[in-house]
Amino acid sequence: MAQVMMKDLNKKYDEVHAVKDVNLHIRDKEFIVLVGPSGCGKSTTLRMVAGLEEITAGEITIGDRIVNDLPPKDRDIAMVFQNYALYPHMTVYDNMAFGLKMRKFPKAEIAKRVGDAAEILGIQELLKRKPRQLSGGQRQRVAVGRAIVRHPQVFLFDEPLSNLDAKLRVQMRVELKRLHERLETTAIYVTHDQVEAMTLGDRVVVMKDGWIQQVGEPLELYGKPANRFVAGFIGSPSMNFVDVTVADAGGALWVETAGLRVKVPPASAGRLGAYKSQHVTLGIRPEDLRVASGSDSADYSFDTVVEVVEPLGSEILLDLKAGPNVIVARVDPTVRVKHSDKMRLALHSERVHFFDNKTELAI
Amino acid sequence: MGRAREIRLAYLLLAPALLLLLTVLAYPVGWEVWTSFTDLSPLKDGSTSYVGLANYGRLLAGAEFWQAAFVTIAYALVTSVAKLALGLGFALLLARPFRGRVLVFLAVFLPWAYPAGVSVIGWYWTLNPPTTTAYAPFMGQLKFVVDGAFGTGAWAFVSVVLFNIWRGSSFIGVLLLAGINAVPPELFECAVLESKSAWRRFWLVTVPLLKPFLALAVFLSLTSAFADLANVWMLTAGRIVFPIIGTHAYFLAIKAGQFGPASALSLTLVPVLLGLLLVLFRYFDPPRQETA
Repeated sequence: MAQVMMKDLNKKYDEVHAVKDVNLHIRDKEFIVLVGPSGCGKSTTLRMVAGLEEITAGEITIGDRIVNDLPPKDRDIAMVFQNYALYPHMTVYDNMAFGLKMRKFPKAEIAKRVGDAAEILGIQELLKRKPRQLSGGQRQRVAVGRAIVRHPQVFLFDEPLSNLDAKLRVQMRVELKRLHERLETTAIYVTHDQVEAMTLGDRVVVMKDGWIQQVGEPLELYGKPANRFVAGFIGSPSMNFVDVTVADAGGALWVETAGLRVKVPPASAGRLGAYKSQHVTLGIRPEDLRVASGSDSADYSFDTVVEVVEPLGSEILLDLKAGPNVIVARVDPTVRVKHSDKMRLALHSERVHFFDNKTELAI
Repeated sequence: MGRAREIRLAYLLLAPALLLLLTVLAYPVGWEVWTSFTDLSPLKDGSTSYVGLANYGRLLAGAEFWQAAFVTIAYALVTSVAKLALGLGFALLLARPFRGRVLVFLAVFLPWAYPAGVSVIGWYWTLNPPTTTAYAPFMGQLKFVVDGAFGTGAWAFVSVVLFNIWRGSSFIGVLLLAGINAVPPELFECAVLESKSAWRRFWLVTVPLLKPFLALAVFLSLTSAFADLANVWMLTAGRIVFPIIGTHAYFLAIKAGQFGPASALSLTLVPVLLGLLLVLFRYFDPPRQETA
């Protein structure tokens, strides 16, 4: 068990600055997820913790040791790779025992640890097989088993579920979560999948272009995104963004653009006051929109035309147009509409977001 | 379509391949086997007669054959071990990125990529410099010492061995580099996480993962040395003091006109090569096991 600290961490390749001034304090027993689009520096950060990449500048501490100059073997970490990285010439047992054998553990201890891990993961009957005789999910379990037997201070996961099909990914996600609750080992998990990040992480670190965008608990990221990128990245379907002008009318602030005019909710009015007659970005999540009924205030609703209807069963996704603006709404499955129907949408006034057009920061 | 017709069609489709195999493989080998049982010779008048196993008998009874066989085996083993060691070294060196890697790759690959004839001249001039420098007398001295210790022609043979290693390790290096590049890098990284000792990682991870490529390299190296003729002939221009089976067979057939004994001599290589193939084939083309 250990905490992991990253201080002013930087990684530069010849021409690419892959990780920029990353500061992160990962608490003991925490499950932290680094998420972001490809090339955002999340894997590079993980590989620096592992010792597979040299640190250009900054400091990484695992437990109470600075590990910058420690070889990977002495950092007391165990890593699970995306493509499993199982040795094709070894049985499942030998693959799981590999790290312990390399460290010259006594045979009995190895057998006990491999046995325990196999039981936890339900792969006892696979121990004599070779990796090529296993399915993708079984291989991933073996790869996790190989990490567990080492009883490391920190688990490092590099997109471990990305090679699995969608159904298996959901299943393994739950298993990993259960495993973490059982083992209580600090874990750093890298993924490009925001759903994985939200479901697994105690806290989630959103990265882009080498910078940390925001660190927070999943619902915090969802509810209070620090900037436009995080707002668009977290949540599916993505948040709607509309370029609007802030206008003062009759003592109240409104935001408006062609085809859309809504009142600024009181909670945001103070901060938006400084943007009078300037452009800002209005952000509305698809799930914060609903079909307007008679009781909805005209201040928080607007007219649209239905373009595409995507019935998903539990919900319906609508692509609509409010003037020239494309809006996605997630509505109740009982709503019956078709292409080019007119529809009035109401928004959840406490859940709208505003972003500065220049800095892209939340207002 | 009826089953009989399908089978007929299958043979029809196979016919071109079979014909090709018969023309380029079965016919020449069959001809050579037949020749080895006769006294066929362009220098002899009159008809060719069947002599049974006489050619083989004379071969096995003569010291020349055993000497050639011994030299061939030594040649194959020494060059193969050296080529494999050097080739593996080149491959491991080139597998990791570093400044100037392209230049090193060129230096490693050029001996193989050049036409053999050009490489031979390069090698010949390395050992017998065409210009007068301090280096030239040194090489002359070296030849004198080696020949003095092991008999005339020893230096020439050593130079053939070195030439073979020089060119062959280049080829094997590139072959093994392709092998290393075919292995997902995570398999090596995973080992780095578990052990500091490059030596242990090499034996426990790199060698097993490269086994198919190593087996192929061993096979190609041994067979090319066993059946060698060109390297020795080109480098010594035919003034061969230590013949190997290939050069001796060539000498018997082309210089002495003894087609029968020459055929018999060449055919003694066949069981050796087949044996090698059977043993090593399992490693470089392992049987596929069922997958889940």
